[in-house]
Amino acid sequence: MTGPPLVGVDLVSRRFRGPTKPDFALLRFVAFDCLGQWRLEGPRHTFTRPAAYWRGVILKQLEEAEEPQLPMPEQASGEIVRVLISLEADFASDGKFGRRTLEVTPDFVRVLEPDGHASIEVRLADIKSARNEPLVGGGRLELTAKSGEIIPLITYSLTLAAKFSEAARGIEQLAKGEPLMINLKQERLRCDKCNRLLPEKDGVCPACVNRGKTLLRVAKYLIPYKKQAVLLALLSIVTTALNLAPPLIQGELVDAVFTTKQNLSLLFWLIGGWVGVLALAAFIQILTGRLIAKLAGSIASDLRAAVYRAIEFLQLYFFDKKQVGAIASRVTSDTDRVWGFLVEGVPYFLINGLLLLGIVIFLFMTNTLLAACILAPIPIVVGISVVFWRPMSQMFHKVGQKWARFHTQLNESLSGIRVIKAFAKEDLEFNRFQQRNKELRESGIAADSKWYTIFGYLTFFTGLGVLINWAVGGYMVYSDVITLGEFWKVNALLGLVYGPLQWFAMVNNWFSRAMAGADRIFEVMDTEREAYGHSLPKHDIRGEVAFENVRFGYDKSNPVLKGLNFVAKPGEMIGLVGKSGAGKSTTINLICRFYEPDAGSIKIDGKDYREIALQDLREQIGIVLQEPFLFNGTIAENIAYGKQSASMQEIMDAAKAANAHNFILSKPDGYDTLVGEKGAKLSGGERQRVSIARAILHNPRILILDEATSSVDVETEKQIQEAIGRLVEGRTTFAIAHRLSTLRNADRLIVLDKGEIVEIGTHAELMEKQGVFYNLVQTQSAINEIIGVNL
Amino acid sequence: MSEQIRPNELKLFYCPKDRLRLTVSDRSYLTVKPAWASPLSHPNRYLALLNGKGEEIVMIDDLSQLAAESRAAIEHELHRRYLTATVTRIESAKVEFGATYWHVDTDRGERDFVTQSLQENVQWLGDRHLLLIDVDGNRFDIPDVSSLDEKSRKIVERIL
Repeated sequence: MTGPPLVGVDLVSRRFRGPTKPDFALLRFVAFDCLGQWRLEGPRHTFTRPAAYWRGVILKQLEEAEEPQLPMPEQASGEIVRVLISLEADFASDGKFGRRTLEVTPDFVRVLEPDGHASIEVRLADIKSARNEPLVGGGRLELTAKSGEIIPLITYSLTLAAKFSEAARGIEQLAKGEPLMINLKQERLRCDKCNRLLPEKDGVCPACVNRGKTLLRVAKYLIPYKKQAVLLALLSIVTTALNLAPPLIQGELVDAVFTTKQNLSLLFWLIGGWVGVLALAAFIQILTGRLIAKLAGSIASDLRAAVYRAIEFLQLYFFDKKQVGAIASRVTSDTDRVWGFLVEGVPYFLINGLLLLGIVIFLFMTNTLLAACILAPIPIVVGISVVFWRPMSQMFHKVGQKWARFHTQLNESLSGIRVIKAFAKEDLEFNRFQQRNKELRESGIAADSKWYTIFGYLTFFTGLGVLINWAVGGYMVYSDVITLGEFWKVNALLGLVYGPLQWFAMVNNWFSRAMAGADRIFEVMDTEREAYGHSLPKHDIRGEVAFENVRFGYDKSNPVLKGLNFVAKPGEMIGLVGKSGAGKSTTINLICRFYEPDAGSIKIDGKDYREIALQDLREQIGIVLQEPFLFNGTIAENIAYGKQSASMQEIMDAAKAANAHNFILSKPDGYDTLVGEKGAKLSGGERQRVSIARAILHNPRILILDEATSSVDVETEKQIQEAIGRLVEGRTTFAIAHRLSTLRNADRLIVLDKGEIVEIGTHAELMEKQGVFYNLVQTQSAINEIIGVNL
Repeated sequence: MSEQIRPNELKLFYCPKDRLRLTVSDRSYLTVKPAWASPLSHPNRYLALLNGKGEEIVMIDDLSQLAAESRAAIEHELHRRYLTATVTRIESAKVEFGATYWHVDTDRGERDFVTQSLQENVQWLGDRHLLLIDVDGNRFDIPDVSSLDEKSRKIVERIL
């Protein structure tokens, strides 16, 4: 018997102890063909051979056969069934952590226990709906049967909640006979390599970042500065040599001058040389420092620029998924980590590593036995720093945490000081403060105590090296194996060895953090960008916008717009009406091409808008949002945002048309008034009018008004309405408004419900029709009567 | 109305088998959802029973006031609804690369999880009561740190 053609195969094996047999394996074949997943279904099969054997057999067949077939083990009987959804949950039926699998085939929904038997089996044909019951810390997938019975299927933790809500939708789609359209992309929860849980799903495993590869990529940013980089490397070598020089000079002094009590002139020569070395070392240190500052600063700045540029061109859905803070941290803290590593880590290791190497070589050249004795405590010192580094860093981390908590507490009580005073709760707040303060004190004392303890041990073992030199070296001097000068040299070099050693243990973590940061940066850079189509032709828009059977969902499986059809004539004002979630904002997002239709097309002047260069298209579209966003700068700059070359006269004309001129003039600085962050220094109505002026000056062919008049007082609204009236003239306009009365001027209204157009017509027509729109208006006036708003 | 209901008059039972039902004198509620009013600081006290619309039917101050059968039913339902695991033992916890990797034993079995930014996701609800929230929002409760074994206590001590 053969099954469907395969494009890949996987073998799932579950070993367990059965009640009758001591140990056997249940094998499940899972094959992937171009349609999806299939599995062999039938009675349980026992196999005497290990799963790896079967995997080998199948893979071999795959290689050999031109059109491989799903192989059937001879013991098996049964039929091949297509598995549409297979999803593992993390709670067992008794509420403990465990494993159960939800499996959906074309006919059944099943829950498989770990031993492979189906504990629940429901026919798809019997299912009316599926839903996710939210629980505390997780959820439960429940089916409602056509009989009305509710069948709880499977419980899962929050980790898997997103997947199971997809599964619920999938089951509904199948139950209704619709095609299965869900997104069950396998998210990686654990790292593929080390099986460590990932801090972010599908994210970077901080322990397994391919550090070599990432480092190489960071190193590419060195290319523009290769001269400086080479120079830096050379300087490091020179620094090492210079560090080694003073002990050597000292040795010479002892041997050639102090012991012989002759060659006084040599003393001056050597001292002179020492001064020279000192001066040169100082000079090179300055040079190295400056070079590092320049190199690391430039690389960090290049990285920041590259990430920011990449972020700007990312598709909008990236911003929907991630918080602004998380994105911003990639530009700031991640680049900062890389910078810190480059500016402190790299030179530190370069110079100290070389130095250490130089000293060890030198010691062995002086006397092998002495060198071996002196260096004997080194493994102990390194050992201590490796063993204690982790608990130590954790303790400092903890102190950092306590500081952060302390700050939060302090900030909160200071900003809430009015409330504290008003409720006379000074003592309560002081107690809270003291609690944090005490925590901070305790963790600080603990960390510092430990630190000094370790430091004490380190000092002892470091001191041992010197002691050994005096003992062994001293004896050697006494018995004329080495000279006094050599002894002195060794003694001086020792001072240089042990210092850097104490820090070598933290190399790995330092490096890893920097590379994880770099990896997150590169992840953003590698994310797919919007198709700008710079090479596409430009097009001067006349203003006809046509939706042709447009379907769209933010999540491909969950359509928000289900086949929209309409044509807006050039210069026409279209009002979009509907409850929240009906698809109004989505329609507008599509017009701006923030998103593109999944199916169907949007045509501008009869031309598919994907054939127009994106920037050219957007330059001809203007938006006035409910919460207008102004940038920190002057009013004039904000009005000219869309047309940087605008003259003062043009700016003032636009402001006049937007009814903004007069209020601007009343400000002491007029058009030079700074609007503050996000325009915070202006009132809501003022911001709105500035944004209208901005749109007027931008002179778009297509205009979008998104709830432009909500949340302002009546007088301001009148002014804004007037301004909008001027703005819409001659432009194709799409307006969303919550107050339906404000759409009275619209040429036509499109009423949306659940992603479909239910009514289309003028205000008067729709009111007369007494349909959906009429009802919406009725409800709204009823509410307005209650809350006392006059329309 | 809740004042007039006495807890021992409440009859809680499953009918059909997966749906918790409540009967109070002549009234019957087909789907009842229990919700702790203050699960963390007042565990096992103040349990609200909500109807299908999420409105409170009655507040039970203390579960022991219920009849035995009703109590068994509600406890079963609570076990199904509150998936918060109570940590009985901390096997290991490693702070690495800005995340903390935990391996714990709980009343629901062993579990690995990761927490990030300990400041927000580790909450001290009292001097000894600790709540850990992992990167996905799953909760791990340690009602009394001092009742854990020495190893676990040391780990908490070291990290938090």
